[in-house]
Amino acid sequence: MKLNERSVAHYALSNSPADHRGFLRTWGGPGTPPTPSGTGRRCWFVLKGNLLFSFESREARAPLGLVVLEGCTVELAEAPVPEEFAFTICFNAPGVRPYLLAADGPAAQEAWVKVLSRASFGYMRLVVRELENQLRDARQGLALHRHSSWKAGTSPCKTQPPDQLSRGLENGHTLSRDYSPMGLVEAGGSRPAGRSLAECELQGAASLLLGRGQSPVSPETSCFSTLHDWYGQEILELRRGWQQRARGSQPKCEQQDKP
Amino acid sequence: MRYNEKELQALSRQPAELAAELGMRGPKKGSVVKRRLVKLVVNFLFYFRTDEAEPVGALLLEHCRVAQEEPSGFSISFIEDPERKYHFECYSEEQCQEWMGALRRASYEFMRRSLIFYRNEIQKMTGKDPLEQFGISEEARFQLSGVKA
Repeated sequence: MKLNERSVAHYALSNSPADHRGFLRTWGGPGTPPTPSGTGRRCWFVLKGNLLFSFESREARAPLGLVVLEGCTVELAEAPVPEEFAFTICFNAPGVRPYLLAADGPAAQEAWVKVLSRASFGYMRLVVRELENQLRDARQGLALHRHSSWKAGTSPCKTQPPDQLSRGLENGHTLSRDYSPMGLVEAGGSRPAGRSLAECELQGAASLLLGRGQSPVSPETSCFSTLHDWYGQEILELRRGWQQRARGSQPKCEQQDKP
Repeated sequence: MRYNEKELQALSRQPAELAAELGMRGPKKGSVVKRRLVKLVVNFLFYFRTDEAEPVGALLLEHCRVAQEEPSGFSISFIEDPERKYHFECYSEEQCQEWMGALRRASYEFMRRSLIFYRNEIQKMTGKDPLEQFGISEEARFQLSGVKA
């Protein structure tokens, strides 16, 4: 089975943040005898996302091995050498032997077990979804608190799914968000639905609702479309009366819908 | 670099975010388009011969670039060699957009950025750190500074 190994190795060595790193003793692994014995081999390990890379040394420029931390459990284990603090990475797949690893001390052992057991993509996705919901609730709560008649549908910054966040960005590569703060010069309230959360974020969620240069004591004024509708009603009333009085004559003098 | 194929094969059997038979052409010169079952599972894209249970290959989708290609196709390349492209052909423009969207969301690095973004937003609004309830607020990978590294 093929794998884009060069890209994987490049990712291993790239400057994207490592989630954990350190020396661990290792026994076995692919291509070595199944019975762990002796003192094993001391390698440098780097965890990036759901991938655990091992290196000959801290300075090595190519990874020795890769373990994909999906569908596995991490458990404390007995090491062949008593003073080691061992743990295993077990896969519930046929033919995949557990990886036996050992840290230098109990603190390092605990830290490794913790990060490795939470390294799966699924765990990350779960936390992101939970935070996404929390943010939506917080925004709704704030909007309600600000003005009870502020309908969620007209909120200037609806919570968008995170895929909007990376629109136009390379997959996990470009770290700078090249969004221009154009939202600042736009009138609030009539933001097209496609606007992303990240664009709104530039202005800060609170400043979106509280700021925009309007008085915080009269929330109606903070939203252009609300203002527009409010004064629009007056215009519509005037216009209706005027039209009735004019009895349909002189249609060319009709006022425009939007003042 | 050593890795256990069986581990990846087991992963390829997991539920897919997206799966379809697409035309696929590898990056090598002279490669021709072949029909492949393409399956997106977490941050790996597996491809199978249509009559085989085990995948022919897998692409790790970190640090990749997904681009639209004419007609109704897309390509995946990786930053260390952007000219080396894996080409995919879809049945429709709609299917192409669906795949491109899913692939761009499929990296762990993207999830991490989303998490940090939501964390900061919630903290700004509520004054509370939402990661405290999970006991993971101290973890290096979720710190804002981590992203700048």
